[in-house]
Amino acid sequence: MLTTFLTHQWKSFWRSRNRGGSIAAQVVLGFFMLYFMLLAVAVGLWMPEFIAKFFPGQDIFIVFTGLLLYSFVLDFAARLQLQDLPTLSVVPYLHLNIRKQQIVNFLNIRALFSPFNLYPFLLFAPFTLYRISQTHGTAAGVMMFAAVISLSLFNNYLVLYIKRKSIGNAFIAIGVVVLLAVFGLLEYLKIISILDLSSRIFMPVIKQPLLALVFPVMAVIIFLINSRYLMSNLYAEELGAKEEKKASTDYAFLNRFGRVGELAALELKLILRHKRSKNSLTMGVLFLFYGFLFYKKEHLANDSFGMMLFAAVFMTGISIITYGQFMYAWQSAHFDGLLANKIDFRNFIKAKFLLFTIASTLVTLLSSFYGFLSWKLLLLHLAAYLYNVGFGVFIVLYFANLNYKRLDLTKGASFNWQGVGATQWILGLPFLLLPLAIYMPFGIAGKPYIGLLALAAFGLITLLMRPFWINFLTKKFEKQRYKIAEGFRE
Amino acid sequence: MIEIKDLKKIYGNRTVVDIPGLEIRAGETVGLVGNNGAGKTTFFRMLLDLIRPTSGVVRSKGEDVSQSSDWKNYTASYLDEGFLIDYLTPEEYFTFIGSLHGLSVAHVADYLRQYDEFFNGEILNRGKYIRDFSKGNQNKVGIAAALMQKPEILVLDEPFANLDPTTQIRLKNLLRELSRTRNMTTFISSHDLNHVTDICNRIILVEKGQVIKDIQTDENTLAELENYFSG
Repeated sequence: MLTTFLTHQWKSFWRSRNRGGSIAAQVVLGFFMLYFMLLAVAVGLWMPEFIAKFFPGQDIFIVFTGLLLYSFVLDFAARLQLQDLPTLSVVPYLHLNIRKQQIVNFLNIRALFSPFNLYPFLLFAPFTLYRISQTHGTAAGVMMFAAVISLSLFNNYLVLYIKRKSIGNAFIAIGVVVLLAVFGLLEYLKIISILDLSSRIFMPVIKQPLLALVFPVMAVIIFLINSRYLMSNLYAEELGAKEEKKASTDYAFLNRFGRVGELAALELKLILRHKRSKNSLTMGVLFLFYGFLFYKKEHLANDSFGMMLFAAVFMTGISIITYGQFMYAWQSAHFDGLLANKIDFRNFIKAKFLLFTIASTLVTLLSSFYGFLSWKLLLLHLAAYLYNVGFGVFIVLYFANLNYKRLDLTKGASFNWQGVGATQWILGLPFLLLPLAIYMPFGIAGKPYIGLLALAAFGLITLLMRPFWINFLTKKFEKQRYKIAEGFRE
Repeated sequence: MIEIKDLKKIYGNRTVVDIPGLEIRAGETVGLVGNNGAGKTTFFRMLLDLIRPTSGVVRSKGEDVSQSSDWKNYTASYLDEGFLIDYLTPEEYFTFIGSLHGLSVAHVADYLRQYDEFFNGEILNRGKYIRDFSKGNQNKVGIAAALMQKPEILVLDEPFANLDPTTQIRLKNLLRELSRTRNMTTFISSHDLNHVTDICNRIILVEKGQVIKDIQTDENTLAELENYFSG
């Protein structure tokens, strides 16, 4: 029976109508997966070297066990955000002559088929099975491995349970990440030490391998709780997320913009009431930390903005990129309605500009905390912001007119290739390369601030040309609307 | 009111719609009947400028619908769920549609009160988004939103499908009354021959995109249509 279920799942995956469509998207997805897996393997293999580099002079086993707690909290947050509930797939079986226990078993096993359950093997196997075994004995190594895998499974079923009970919401994951960042900072400032606590929990396992049995037991307990819950709640309407009463809302601050504001409010509701767009939103917030990867001390000291420009444009324009890349497909489900109703196309385009300007301004304000690193970053962000609201919005909306792929909003955004077409790939190039092209000549000539000024001026000029862009895009939209509508009806 | 000339839509080498000429006078209630694939929905979409015709024009009050959008001021339509903004509550949707025609929130609420009977207490204040309603109730939202615009031309694609019997009868009465009191021009497609012959004063029968019959309704029409479709 189980194998029948699994083959059905396999077929539903390969025969899915919205399976990203093109072969190219599949290949790229496969490539990404392979890349991440290789990354995990590499980190796993060279873990001792990494630890020695980042924590010089410390015992690698103490550091490793110290990091475990962090890694599993992070794992928990990531799963909460990205892992999907395998529920809807059982609906066609509920009325058939199949025992409940079998369906529950299927759901439990189906939940194991997730990249989140694969990577711990790649990441931790080399270190635990080889390194720990070598130094502390095979038993210690094997049991440590069992401990990390059990913890991963514990997370797996805990997250499913939380999601089924609908205890959590989209913002818990962000909360956990922020909490982690705070603890990391406190750790850095040597106020408290999670590292220490963590190694105090896990070091005994190395010394006393039998202690590791606690972790599998934990995993089994949460697994049983989960199964028990499924057993008694195996009804289609109870498996999904709980429904709460929906209220009508009104965004008063948009009313001052008249018709355009109404259309913008409509789209704001769209963003807040669909899983996929909400996902994009939370990812946008997480990308605010992107700068920490790029804003290096030496770049700041040398004024080499070219190295940091990419991150700045990306962060201040994240809303434009993540949301704009699928434009107008967000509205594909009711596109006919928009066309047939009395909506002025110019207002339609203007509403997009309005929404992007508000979003980009908000994000830029949020990102101003980088000013604590250096005031130069504020200048950089301002230039990037002007470019984004000036020309970036235009690029995105221009490509929106070439996007004919319907978008399914009910699924999450991460690793979701439904509705992805050529436009999404091409779009990023001009968007991210143009600011670099404007800045670079000045950067190479050793005039970085003039370069920023040039970028800001370009942004400002294009911002002032907005009526022209709106005209241009409206004309383009009028020409393209039949084609777009036809694609969205598929 | 509406004038159609040499209207053709061809997909690949398949002609979906081919209407050399058709004229609809103001106040007419026209029923479009035909089996699946007859081209009814495609025809409606061209009427509403949602599809570009391969050739020919649709003129509304003398103006080509694909060139000017003035017709949107006096035309309301509901073809399918694609016309509904399904993540809104019905109230929000009505308010939005109302605002496009300059109706205030209070106006809309006031207007909806006369549809209490039609809604049968199942639409308003249910605390649900449109996407969470049943198909029949979604239909009701779409039809009511179309009627709310006080249109001179109304286009409905299979409005009776998915509706419960009580609502079907109420909708028929509503449409009859509107065409009488406001001289509204109505376009309806339906698979239910009883309903269309009941309310339409003109029936157009299409097959494979072509107009087969164009008749004024009388007491023999139903029998004539039944005879045709059973053949």
